[in-house]
Amino acid sequence: MKTQPVLVSAALGVGLGTLLLPAAALADTTVSPATTPVGGTVVLTSTCNPNSGDAIFRVTGPDRDQNVRSTTAAAGGGLSAELFTAGFTLGTYTVTATCGDGSSSGSATFTVTPIGGVPAGGGADAGNGGVVAAGGTLVGAAAAGALVLARRRRAATRA
Amino acid sequence: MAAGDRPPRAAVALITLAGVAGLGLLAAGATRTAPRPPRPAPGAVVNPATGRSTVPAPPLPRADPVRITIAAIGVRADVVPVAAGPTGELEVPPKDRPTVAGWYRPGVSPGEAGNAVVVGHVDTRETGPAVFFDLGRLRPGDRIQVTRADTRVATFAVDGVGAYPKTNFPTALVYGDGPVPRLRLVTCGGPFDERRRAYRDNVVVFATAVP
Repeated sequence: MKTQPVLVSAALGVGLGTLLLPAAALADTTVSPATTPVGGTVVLTSTCNPNSGDAIFRVTGPDRDQNVRSTTAAAGGGLSAELFTAGFTLGTYTVTATCGDGSSSGSATFTVTPIGGVPAGGGADAGNGGVVAAGGTLVGAAAAGALVLARRRRAATRA
Repeated sequence: MAAGDRPPRAAVALITLAGVAGLGLLAAGATRTAPRPPRPAPGAVVNPATGRSTVPAPPLPRADPVRITIAAIGVRADVVPVAAGPTGELEVPPKDRPTVAGWYRPGVSPGEAGNAVVVGHVDTRETGPAVFFDLGRLRPGDRIQVTRADTRVATFAVDGVGAYPKTNFPTALVYGDGPVPRLRLVTCGGPFDERRRAYRDNVVVFATAVP
């Protein structure tokens, strides 16, 4: 009967697949942080096996297509590289990694944003300048008027 | 002294009136202060990373926003695209157009998956309160409507409002990515530094698209 060998093969296939799945899931690429102000540095990490050679990270996005070679063995067992974003156009970038043995290691995205806070306020002026000027003018005019009246009165008294 | 030598009563009255009015204006000028924007109310801030909305609206395709309406604080403003200036800071609309809002065009558009960012002046020295002056008054649940160039209207519910020092701007919370359409409104707030003519903080409104 042929049913038994088929069942055994299927079971072996499922078992093998289960064993291999974690390894396949490990083949991954991450970018940290996923959001950086322009000029900041992001770390590209791939789960490529360092024994297979350097990984190549391809960075594509707004007016950019560049390759970055891994420089460091990552603490978790992969490979990583730092990417300095000075001069990058604002927007979202995709990173795809290729391992030293030519296999793909997945992709990730990161976003380059404006720097820091937003200068969106100048402080409303209370408009005190005009009020003070008007007040000063009136007080000055009153003082001048009082002075003129006092002089006239003095002159009239002498006469 | 003869009665005819006395100064005319009308002149005395006029001088007295001018003096009193002048002193009053000087006193008013010394004490009057400019209006300052409201700060976010206690309890207006929730976890902005998750939001309050349980069932967000599905994402829309990209389309430029043309108008923003926030009925709760009386905002009805045109929207113009902005990017970043030479120093890398986010641009805001020109000071001579304090009643318009700016959409951060390198990011997603309102209604698309991810965080769309809209910025507006809180005030200007020349014109006083501006388009986002009352942003700090918004409360969770308030609605924000953004009319897009494709004539669709993306509606967002406010999740919370926060104030952050500009030196510690929450970049990831504002510009972050994700599958849900969200909106971030940004303006200035907090203490005002008279010497630098600048506010210390940025006020950020976090909102999520709703059906």
